[in-house]
Amino acid sequence: MTEPLTATEKTSDNPILWVAKPMVTAARQFARSLLHPSTVVYPFERLEDPKFRTEVGIESGKPIGVGPIWDNYRGVHALNIDTCISCNLCAFSCPDLCIDMVTVPGGDPKHPKKCPQIDYGKCSYCGFCSDACPEGCLSMTTRYELSVHSRREMVFPPEKLFGIYQQKLPMNPIRVERPANEDRIVLEPPLCIGCNACSRDCPTNCITMMEIPKPEAKPGEKLPKRIWKEPVINDSDCVRCGTCISVCPKECLFWGSRK
Amino acid sequence: MWINMGPQHPMTHGLWNLRVKIDGELITDCDPEMGYLHRGIEKISEDRHYNEVITLMDRTCYVAGFAWEHLYVLAAEEALHIQPPERAEYLRTLCEEFQRIGSHLMWYAAFVQDIGLMSPFLYGMRDRDLVLDLFQSYTGARMTYEYMRVGGVRNDLPPGFTGHARKVLDWLSDRFVEYDRLCLGSDIFRKRCDGLGVLSAADCVATGVTGPMLRSAGVKRDVRRDRPYAAYPQLDFDVAVADGADVTARYLVRMEEMRQSVRLLRQVLDWLDHHPGPVLADRLPRWLGAPYAPVGKEEYVLKRNYPKGVGFSSIEEPHGEAQAYVVNEGSEHPYRVKFRSPVFANLSATRHYLVGYRVADIPPIMGSVDICVGEVDR
Amino acid sequence: MSSLSLYGVSFDLVHLLLTSIGSVLPYPLDAWITNGTLVLVLSVLVFAAILLAASMINTIVLIWWERKLLGRFMDRRGAMHVGYAGLLQNFADGLKLFRKHTFKPAEADTLGFFSGPTAYMVTSMILFGVLPISTGWNSGSLPLSLLLALAIFSFAPLFIFVSAWSSNNKYSLMGGMRSAAQMIAYEVPLLLAVVAVVIVSGSFDLTTIVTEQQNYWFWGPLFLALVVFVAGMLAEMERIPFDLPEAEAELVEGWNTEYGGMLFAFFMLADYLRGLVGSFLVVLLFLGGWTMPSWVPGALTNFPLAGIFWFLVKTYLVFGLFVWIRASLPRVRTDQLLRVGWNRMIPLSLAAVFLAAALVTVKCLPVFGCLPSPGV
Repeated sequence: MTEPLTATEKTSDNPILWVAKPMVTAARQFARSLLHPSTVVYPFERLEDPKFRTEVGIESGKPIGVGPIWDNYRGVHALNIDTCISCNLCAFSCPDLCIDMVTVPGGDPKHPKKCPQIDYGKCSYCGFCSDACPEGCLSMTTRYELSVHSRREMVFPPEKLFGIYQQKLPMNPIRVERPANEDRIVLEPPLCIGCNACSRDCPTNCITMMEIPKPEAKPGEKLPKRIWKEPVINDSDCVRCGTCISVCPKECLFWGSRK
Repeated sequence: MWINMGPQHPMTHGLWNLRVKIDGELITDCDPEMGYLHRGIEKISEDRHYNEVITLMDRTCYVAGFAWEHLYVLAAEEALHIQPPERAEYLRTLCEEFQRIGSHLMWYAAFVQDIGLMSPFLYGMRDRDLVLDLFQSYTGARMTYEYMRVGGVRNDLPPGFTGHARKVLDWLSDRFVEYDRLCLGSDIFRKRCDGLGVLSAADCVATGVTGPMLRSAGVKRDVRRDRPYAAYPQLDFDVAVADGADVTARYLVRMEEMRQSVRLLRQVLDWLDHHPGPVLADRLPRWLGAPYAPVGKEEYVLKRNYPKGVGFSSIEEPHGEAQAYVVNEGSEHPYRVKFRSPVFANLSATRHYLVGYRVADIPPIMGSVDICVGEVDR
Repeated sequence: MSSLSLYGVSFDLVHLLLTSIGSVLPYPLDAWITNGTLVLVLSVLVFAAILLAASMINTIVLIWWERKLLGRFMDRRGAMHVGYAGLLQNFADGLKLFRKHTFKPAEADTLGFFSGPTAYMVTSMILFGVLPISTGWNSGSLPLSLLLALAIFSFAPLFIFVSAWSSNNKYSLMGGMRSAAQMIAYEVPLLLAVVAVVIVSGSFDLTTIVTEQQNYWFWGPLFLALVVFVAGMLAEMERIPFDLPEAEAELVEGWNTEYGGMLFAFFMLADYLRGLVGSFLVVLLFLGGWTMPSWVPGALTNFPLAGIFWFLVKTYLVFGLFVWIRASLPRVRTDQLLRVGWNRMIPLSLAAVFLAAALVTVKCLPVFGCLPSPGV
């Protein structure tokens, strides 16, 4: 296009042509929507009804898009408590800090099992938590009706999220692939005291404490006071939750790259 | 007599206050006041991981979320020295162009409502819904997408998407003709809009006005063409310009831009059909990849010596030329994020295009500016 | 028994009621209760009550009609849940407004603030006593009922202006000023268009005007007058495209910005009452009132109350035209409105008057009749 646009439809002083065009257009729309208005009568019809997924579309004269509620709709979360490994990744990935890890029955008394509790007053439905979930136990469903009577009811404890899971709603099928050359946990050996904290708290039990040979003390040198074990991390099982880093008392674990 | 039009007034389309001094029905002075919707997005961004800022970008402008996501990820990628895969660039172009259509349809709806046209308001909203349905089919949300990531996009398109998208484009192309009949074909509309709110090219440049307002004054300035980004260099499109510099000219420019977007989208969809590939870059820094892991010990992270950098991006947002500036000091969070909102500049120039017209002209003129207060105040 | 008319029916009802009560009462009371004055007073009251109910129900159904029509124009459905197809939605809305707290801004003038909407409502209601709905269905045959109706119709700007001024709000004031200017400007072409009808029919009595249209309706010969009249009516009713006194985009509902609850409902109801009256007038003056053309089969026109039925059908169709206009046109600007009013409408209406006079002079009216009329 080289020419600047100018309004081409000429203004006419003819009082009949004056408004004829828009009125005819409106009447045409009237005729079109007389039988099929685009409205979805919401509480009685729902966009996730099967008929809106398949039959209704632009072709049928009812301009409803392309199966409006797709399974990847980001609605209320569903949590499978049984497979949750309490890795905290959802809580860490939440930009709004709306996820708290609360204790649920089922863990051993020393290391209680913790599952996410979501405050929907804060949640922005960004889906980062379900993207981060390594076990696929926290995912988002197509449920979008959330009216409650008080703010307190907006906080969904894990049991309630599990209840949503048990309703077997369509769940977001899209899983974000983990990058192939993901960073891993590496150890800075001289600092390690072999305290077993990382192995004990690892949610996936991928850290084993391997014995290392106790070095011979040279004359005049005092060996560090430690257990002669070092963590060995099974990378294929590791979900990169970083729990070991945070519990390490000597700060000898940190993120490293594979190369 | 000074009148406060706002902060709650149908003309404002959001939260701001236009103070006008009137003499009878004539406007003799005006004074825009912004800031009612300030949420501190730039400051909050400094405390978030790079990807978490994207959730704020959707809220920056609620009718053009994808444009702002794109703006931010472009700047962040430059700051972090990341190159997204080509398919991701095309996907982003797809998002942005559909968003342009959606935003312009929203503008159309609000604008005709301002001048008293009742039914096209709902036509615009109805057709925008088709675009939102498309967005939902691959992002999972209708307005707050959180789809783009630094280094690519979250996921690929679902199967059958391009076919649906083409149908929507066909439907929309027919509707554009209808819109023109309802507006340009109406004598009352022309009488209401011709010669109103004239802002000459020189004034536009002097006051920093960009976007369709600038192009309606005959200046052929479009970031997509002048400073191409994403997949725009490979695509064929025209820059819509008009010469009236008034409300009708802005209407014409926006309608033509929608047609050009349809043209662009057809090319993008064709490309996407034939070029499968990854949508997220390899070798992302730890906090950008999938794990979203806890911070851990801050000093250990800093030891890693990620390369520092500064990113600047400029895109043609539906409202005008938006710019972002991201400073990466090597930590997990951006050190500083700064945005340039086009609508802020467009609104600041109110005095240049409002004084001398009548009170009844305020809604069409301000409607033709296409206000999104979310991005004005950020 | 008097002839079948609204007043006659109410008089008969009251008379029947009082005589039956009187027949069982002892001597002094029965004479008193069947007293002619009492019957007269009560029958006037019953007449007014019937009129009130009829006009209110019609108005509310009119709002429903507009909502449904507008819904389809806008590709949606309109009210549909309360009652059958949403017929009772407006009653629910009215009930809600009725329950709301009526408040007054602190700086507003009490007398004007409350009397404005009330008087606006009342004057709009009075119109229904004047307009004939079918043969005999009116308060009595006034020889100048058309003039009276238009005179009452043009009270409105005063009350609008009073309520706008006493609201003590800048938007309201501007809306009131616009409203006054607009109504005064469009009063003139409106009346001139009516003059054309009066010339042709030779009477100011609406019943006579309708009887004159037995054979041919006036919309054909007086098409110019009809156009002017409809445009003027749109302005008088303050509907899009002439709704700028209450333009919500810039003036936030104009002169009723400060009103809420029942006072707002008064404005709303009175607006639609005036819409109904406007449609009535169009039907009475140009579309043959309750008469139907002779080609319509007798079965369709001879059932009881057929006159009222067809009259209401025409009224609702005319109002549908107003809704259609509302659905497809933007509103104009004050100066454009006034310019159109003074520069276009008045010359057009004058032309319509001259045309009517010419038609009467050369006696070629039936040629323009909507249908061939054997009688004339």
